[in-house]
Amino acid sequence: MQIRINHIAKMEGHAGFMASVIKGDVKSAKLEVQEGIRLIEGVLVGRHYADMPIIAQRICGICPVVHNLTSIKSLEAAMGVQVTPETKKLRTVLELAQFIHSHALHLFFLSLADFLDMDNDIQLVKKYPEETKKAVRIREYGMEIVKVVGGRVVHPLTNEVGGFKKAPDAEALRKIVASSEEIMKDALDLGEFFRKIKIPEFSRVTEYVCLGNNSNYSIYDGDVISSRGLHIPVEKFESNFQELQKQNEVIKKVEHNGKSYMVGAIARVNLHKDKLSPKAQKYLESLGWSFPDFNPFHNILAQMTEVIHSIEESAKLISELLHADMNEVLTKPYEAKEGIGIAAVEAPRGTLYYHVEVDAKGYVKNVNIITPTAQFLANLEDDIADYIPGVLNLENKQRERKLRAFIRAYDPCISCAVH
Amino acid sequence: MEHLKSFFKPKVAIVSLTSCEGCQFALLDLGTRFLDFAEKTEMVDFRLLEDEEDLGGKIDIGIVEGTPITEANVKTLMELRERSRFLVVLGNCAAMGGIPEMKNYQEGANTIKHVYKYVHGINNPEIREVDNFVKVDFTFPGCPITAEEFLKYMPMFLDACQPGNEAKIPEIPDQPVCVECKAKGNRCLLLDKKPCFGPMIQGGCDAVCPTSNMMCQGCRGIRPKGNVKAMRATLKTMMTDEEFENTTEIFGLRDDISEWESKLNSN
Repeated sequence: MQIRINHIAKMEGHAGFMASVIKGDVKSAKLEVQEGIRLIEGVLVGRHYADMPIIAQRICGICPVVHNLTSIKSLEAAMGVQVTPETKKLRTVLELAQFIHSHALHLFFLSLADFLDMDNDIQLVKKYPEETKKAVRIREYGMEIVKVVGGRVVHPLTNEVGGFKKAPDAEALRKIVASSEEIMKDALDLGEFFRKIKIPEFSRVTEYVCLGNNSNYSIYDGDVISSRGLHIPVEKFESNFQELQKQNEVIKKVEHNGKSYMVGAIARVNLHKDKLSPKAQKYLESLGWSFPDFNPFHNILAQMTEVIHSIEESAKLISELLHADMNEVLTKPYEAKEGIGIAAVEAPRGTLYYHVEVDAKGYVKNVNIITPTAQFLANLEDDIADYIPGVLNLENKQRERKLRAFIRAYDPCISCAVH
Repeated sequence: MEHLKSFFKPKVAIVSLTSCEGCQFALLDLGTRFLDFAEKTEMVDFRLLEDEEDLGGKIDIGIVEGTPITEANVKTLMELRERSRFLVVLGNCAAMGGIPEMKNYQEGANTIKHVYKYVHGINNPEIREVDNFVKVDFTFPGCPITAEEFLKYMPMFLDACQPGNEAKIPEIPDQPVCVECKAKGNRCLLLDKKPCFGPMIQGGCDAVCPTSNMMCQGCRGIRPKGNVKAMRATLKTMMTDEEFENTTEIFGLRDDISEWESKLNSN
């Protein structure tokens, strides 16, 4: 039997799905990518380094912040550019804000209808007007932070190698902190709504991978750690993980020791649950999971947990910055230098890696970008192959709905994965 | 209510070709203001928000974002034009080739070798903007688009679709980025001998880049009365010709500048 879904909507980028099942055995299960190649790594070669963050962030319209940040971090590593603690803090705030609006979009507008058996968000919005308002407010809060700090939501402008071109307006930041409590209330209400949704049961053991340091819920930096005890510096990622391209495929999938693995909210929540903010920890406890939790549908609740964490944590960091000298975030003079830089930042969907080589004049010689979706795609396919036998007896339309829901729960970003 | 009843809801489709989808997100980011707009239409295809299959047939307004790269992209674009009374394009990729067009200026077919080991079977055409394939009725410029502009001009299209109304297509006024930049009280980057393309570029973006102390790199394209020659003369002391050309490649401005200059020379 062939299972074919031509086009999966409500997802970033274009892909379909195809599986082949013989006598109840899943022989293959594969996401079929329909995205064109933009060759971002290729077009960066030969360009001045300062163009790289501007071009690279355009890989993705939903998570430009993290492409911008990671390319900047890799260039700073390559050229030995130091930045101030205030700059690091403000970048972390940007990334947390990116988590808030990306997660809020996915869990409410892209995924939720799947669990309520609805076909579109117009129905969803009509049936749940209060929840919609809350989801919109949370998203707008995250976007407002990106706008105030980054100058714009889609493809922010202020961030560059060495720091910021412009310090954010303190008054606008004060307003954000002042509204954080109200937004937290919305988030906790929405969290409660999601807690009550019936989530399908499914579990398959995998390896969870994310950034980790000993002090906090690592977003902006850390080593690469995993649920199987891996702990390596980010520089060793490429020698421990294998990026593979098969013929005719435009996404280079990534494996660890020949096996698939998982990144993103569910991986982070599993590996760092003790480092979540107090309210996020409390929310996670209310879900009653036993750890490690291997239900990929739970990614949505893990994202909800991270929304709560990110609201609490970003408000804390902004308050600290308001007591510091904000001009410390401004770029200080430095010189372009030859070198190789490797950096990683947690994106909403998992760890994003950049490897860059710069020549003595500051021109890019080589770039490699490894995105979260490229990393978890093999895991998604392994998971769904395991999931299919359980939905095989359903009528076609019902089965297709379940499979779409499964794929969407992963929150894949095909534009990122192909780049 | 009487007014609402008599309002004809035009059929609208919003589709994307290969892109970052940032222009669609700029729309979604309008939140309830976008949902209010959607309410005034019959949205037959907006795959970011709905799962239902588009049933085909004639529509009033087709809106498209991105670059036609794969064969499927080209087919989607041609079909959308065929079905739509008005075809509206969103953003720099669709209008000017954008980031993907950079490879045209580089090593062309070789750029792919920096990225893939196996290049066989992968579509890697020269990048051509949407208007090389189909007739375009209106362009929302920018990378990404300015969502406020969408809210300003789209209702004019909804009006044009009302029975008995004239099919009038709006025009974005010809003004440089500098007008909004000055209105915001920014200090001109050029005065500080920092390069900026603002004077020759189509405004309407709220001068968002110079407001963030970043030069205008021209993502909205040369304005009708934009003077490339004067701009180049101003920038002479601030950047080399090579730097100028490299910068114009980012948003697909370079071929438009060449065209402008060859027209000037032929006159």
